[in-house]
Amino acid sequence: MSSEIKLTKHVPTKKRSLLNIKRRESTKDFLFALPALLLLAIFTYYPLVNSVFISFTDWNLIRPIKKFIGLTNYQNLLVDPEFYHVLKVTFLYTIIEVSLELLLGLGLAVLFNVTARSFGVMRSILFMPHYISMVVVSMVFVWIYNTDYGILNTVLKLFGASPVSWLNDPSTALWAVIIVAVWKGVGFTSLIFISGLRGIPIEYYEAASIDGAGKWKQFLKITLPLLSPTTLFLVITSFISSMQVFQSVNIMTNGGPLKATKVMVYWIYDLTFVQFKAGKGSALVIIFFFIIVLLTAIQFAISKKKVHYEG
Amino acid sequence: MFNSQKVSATRLTIAIIVTLFMLFPLYWLLITSFKPAEELKSAIPTFWPKHFTFQNYVDAFNKAPFLRYGMNTLIQTVGVVTLQVNIALLAAYAFAKGNFFGRDKLFLAVIAAMVVPEQVVFVPVYVMMANVGWLNTFWALIVPNAVSAYGIFLLRQAFKSINNDVIEAAKVDGAHRLHILYRILTPMALPTLVTVLIFKIIGSWNSYFWPLVMTNTDNMRVLTVGIAMLKSSIAGNEMLNFQLIMAGSVLVAAPIVILFIFTQKHILTAMSNSTFK
Repeated sequence: MSSEIKLTKHVPTKKRSLLNIKRRESTKDFLFALPALLLLAIFTYYPLVNSVFISFTDWNLIRPIKKFIGLTNYQNLLVDPEFYHVLKVTFLYTIIEVSLELLLGLGLAVLFNVTARSFGVMRSILFMPHYISMVVVSMVFVWIYNTDYGILNTVLKLFGASPVSWLNDPSTALWAVIIVAVWKGVGFTSLIFISGLRGIPIEYYEAASIDGAGKWKQFLKITLPLLSPTTLFLVITSFISSMQVFQSVNIMTNGGPLKATKVMVYWIYDLTFVQFKAGKGSALVIIFFFIIVLLTAIQFAISKKKVHYEG
Repeated sequence: MFNSQKVSATRLTIAIIVTLFMLFPLYWLLITSFKPAEELKSAIPTFWPKHFTFQNYVDAFNKAPFLRYGMNTLIQTVGVVTLQVNIALLAAYAFAKGNFFGRDKLFLAVIAAMVVPEQVVFVPVYVMMANVGWLNTFWALIVPNAVSAYGIFLLRQAFKSINNDVIEAAKVDGAHRLHILYRILTPMALPTLVTVLIFKIIGSWNSYFWPLVMTNTDNMRVLTVGIAMLKSSIAGNEMLNFQLIMAGSVLVAAPIVILFIFTQKHILTAMSNSTFK
């Protein structure tokens, strides 16, 4: 700063010196943003473009030469029954997980939307798993689901039912993985719902009860419609994060049994680092990324619309 | 809002039952880690260990270098969070108060990066790391994660809400811009900074996919990956060793649970402020 002031003394016209200072200032401003911009360019944007390039090649991740094969990887994916199976599993997982998490989250929100201190403590307990490592959570549930000694089967046996191999049976494995995600995320979802509930003016309920509307009717006619922006926000953000499921599958089932839990990111990892088909893996990455971008665009459009009719 | 509501006994009872049910997996994690191996196989499960033992923790440390894993996780977390916070502070200042060509377009490019999941970029970054010899080093764990677009976004919001007069006054006093940023703006944006700090510590501590891909030696493994490896090495044996895995898992989860307990009020306020605004 002091050097700039000195400089102005030597420059004849005041106008020019101001321009100089401005230019200097803006260069310094830019320098502050530069580290972030450079790192994003190197570690996000360049790899994104590079992934597209790799998806056009036949490459095993190690060999220095990448053979250009055009759209072959995409064509191979589109005729591969496994691709449709993985898509189906991923969307099944996502749709069921998001539906359960939102339904239970809304239920918990209504139950726990009380300002008493004890309820605050309980809300925190419900919310805590959101921050615990998915690796740890998966381990706990592997133990709970254990066929021979797991607590779940022990309880079932008490009721006379026969034990189930939750994670080794293709008909239950996907559900077992979904339940883990729901347990981990439902407290967070319910907190978002609670902040939505608290945004609804209490006068609406007062007016409705004067008109003789019961609790259930109030819930259907006031709470649900006025909560819809919150619900939409949650549907899309949960959808995007559920689509990216990997850790729980990697630890609990390894995509099995019989590919029953083979989701997209698991297949991407498997293709690239286990089968060394980096070209095919990258084609899948690009398709996966398109789905994410599409969902984000929908979220963006909806939130813009919401702002529009609120303002 | 300010005075507590009266709660019916039924509602309280249901709420307590639901909470206990939801808490059970974490309780089971903790309690299993204190049980001797034989007790895990008993037909009637014990809800409090018959023979309370710390042996599982000792055994876990003997089975795998947990101290090393813990150090690695700690170094990774400190490195990532320090870089993320400082780079975000600089960028947030530039985007909020600075004036340079293409500022808003470049900010959009920063925000857009939030859409790109790590699973989309990991192959090219892996190759890059291999080429510069950074695989199996802390560089690969830290440098590619040094920017948090989310952190830049939040801090920029906080800086924008600070009046320009504060900055102008400091400039008149001849303050350097780094001084303005760290001594004047940062203290004023402290609640936001703490939010970013907490979320980034949790995120980095729990990260799994990135270290799994970027490291493959026992020396460089972080806690989350170490636990996963311990499980697959034990799963090969006939022996049931969940008490060991649970002991290791407690070590991964405990610091985050403690952090959560001490900062939950802050987290809750930050969440209710930032979800829709």
